[in-house]
Amino acid sequence: MNTQLLPSPGTGTPMRPAHGPAPVREAGRFASQHRRRLLRADVLTVTAWSSLAAAVALWLADGGLTAASSPAGMITALGIVAGLAGMDLVLLMLLLAARIPFIDGAVGHDRALEFHRKLGKPSLYLLLAHGLLIAVGYGMAEGLDPVSEAVALWVLIPDMWLAFISLALFIAVVVTSLVAVRRRFPYEFWYAVHLLTYGAVLTSLPHQFSVGGLFAVGTWQRWYWLGICIATGAALLYYRVIQPVRATFRHQLTVERVTSVAPGVVNIEMSGLQVGSLAGNGGRFFIWRFLAPGLWWHTHPFSLSAEPVRKGPDGHGRLRITVRDLGRGSAQLLRLRRGTKVAVEGPYGLFSSAARSRDRVVMIGAGIGITPFRALLETTPFAPGQATVLLRGHSNQELYLGEEILELCRQRGATLFHLTGGRDPASPDSWLPASEHRAGYALADYVPEIAHADVYVCGPSRWAGNVLNAARASGVKEGQLHHERFDW
Amino acid sequence: MRIRAAVSAALASAGILLVGWQSGVHGADTRSAIAAAATGNQASGTGTTGSSGAASSESAASSATTGGSGTTGNSGATGASGAAGAAAKAGGTYDGDVVQTRFGTVQVQITVKAGQVTDVTALKLTDAEGRSVQISNYAAPVLRDEVLQAQSADVQTVGGATVTSDAYLTSLQAALDAANL
Repeated sequence: MNTQLLPSPGTGTPMRPAHGPAPVREAGRFASQHRRRLLRADVLTVTAWSSLAAAVALWLADGGLTAASSPAGMITALGIVAGLAGMDLVLLMLLLAARIPFIDGAVGHDRALEFHRKLGKPSLYLLLAHGLLIAVGYGMAEGLDPVSEAVALWVLIPDMWLAFISLALFIAVVVTSLVAVRRRFPYEFWYAVHLLTYGAVLTSLPHQFSVGGLFAVGTWQRWYWLGICIATGAALLYYRVIQPVRATFRHQLTVERVTSVAPGVVNIEMSGLQVGSLAGNGGRFFIWRFLAPGLWWHTHPFSLSAEPVRKGPDGHGRLRITVRDLGRGSAQLLRLRRGTKVAVEGPYGLFSSAARSRDRVVMIGAGIGITPFRALLETTPFAPGQATVLLRGHSNQELYLGEEILELCRQRGATLFHLTGGRDPASPDSWLPASEHRAGYALADYVPEIAHADVYVCGPSRWAGNVLNAARASGVKEGQLHHERFDW
Repeated sequence: MRIRAAVSAALASAGILLVGWQSGVHGADTRSAIAAAATGNQASGTGTTGSSGAASSESAASSATTGGSGTTGNSGATGASGAAGAAAKAGGTYDGDVVQTRFGTVQVQITVKAGQVTDVTALKLTDAEGRSVQISNYAAPVLRDEVLQAQSADVQTVGGATVTSDAYLTSLQAALDAANL
């Protein structure tokens, strides 16, 4: 038996598996996967910066510098460049949020959205600067003050009123996304306002092509700009609308059973067609929409808590998620009826074997964050003795699916630690229970080889941050850390 | 790896900006070449005979064509009116070149009485987009007043309406040449 279930490392040394290290054939297989993924991320970085440079180059190639000889011309030129760069950032933001597999598979869905959020303010500032500078620059050229110039632009120039509306929408979208503002409103309000982004982009397009001299008919610049706008729109339409609808119709998922795991925690089992194509990597998440009255407009991001089980030759089978009552939305899920149809999008994210970079693997989960490891543990490749699982909860009852994970660890030869108990209120930076923390245990005491392992962390964001810091302190590099946020 | 991404991104961006800048400078060179030709034109055009005026206006037109910046002079029409111009110093109307710009075509007509330009009419003005119409409507009267005062095409371009002004004055110069002024 390779599995140890220990309250802490102090009570014994985990036994090593009898059959030695991983076969040579296996060793290093994740290193090349990791290199490819890094290359992909770098290609994306270069592409993003190049697109920004290209936006400015469009203007330079049009002889923009020569037009900027007078003060008015200079201000107008700055305004044009700000508008070009701002629009380019908006397109990049849309692409980052489009759930394109190439992007999500390279940096992960949550990292992509993090970049998306980071670009929000810069792009708004650029668009605001665009409007202000153009009004001032044009106004100076025509001897008008910026306000009357803005009014003249609104009234006289076709499509300009749309551009003003677009700017107002952009302001609304970014302001409601500020953390301080977002906390005050329910998710659905933010989501509805965020949908206005599409309106903001669409209303901004006409003036770019009709008023912007840079994109006059017959110029190559016009084709380039049209090309990137259409490509972005097509990517959004395909990956955010067509793909989810197709997946929903292909899999025909319905709720089969809702069983209680612990107070406030349920397993939701669903059956459907071709479930095999939803499987494979473990730990990736899906966006679920339960098509029942009062529920259908809620979306829920949950990982599978078990790999799909195929029952029939036609791919008919069953899959399972584990849900805890975390809020109004998930509370209703506890009372789901059998036969409820389910719309599904995904799989998304990189919390899976696709993120592996080393042969060893460490999984550290807390509370409901344990459940994705149930699926990951099932499929992610490792030799016996090369995986360690640390489960954290206030009590044994809070180690959701702990029994199943124990059984999997036994079968596959993974070392398992249960870390239960309240945290030490005196040290908010600790991820361990109070007793272990006071006894002076660190991550490396549980996993001595942690510096040469992939570390997967899933749990409440504060706690997860502490684990990530502990891992970094033990010599784990950024590329080996895999963290999925599930608190958005 | 992050360094690799940063370096390649910097190099790629710099390269793209350089290409854009170079093609912009190239375009500006051809534009200023036309402007220089137009100015030279005007210098030789004042107080010389009709034949040299027609010749220099033709060279301006050809340099514009070879410049390939999208500005083409209607040299045939100029030549014809230039030939007539030698005998028509007394008065009449003369059409300037049709000058193409990215915002539309520009062509002016001058009215000459007793060797003086008494009026400039814009036959065509940049109108490709709403913005261009606004600029044209604003710039044309300013240019007309300046030209009538200076009695030449050697006037300030209107700020914010550079393309329109350049085209206006290029066409005007051709008309002046045609009138042999």
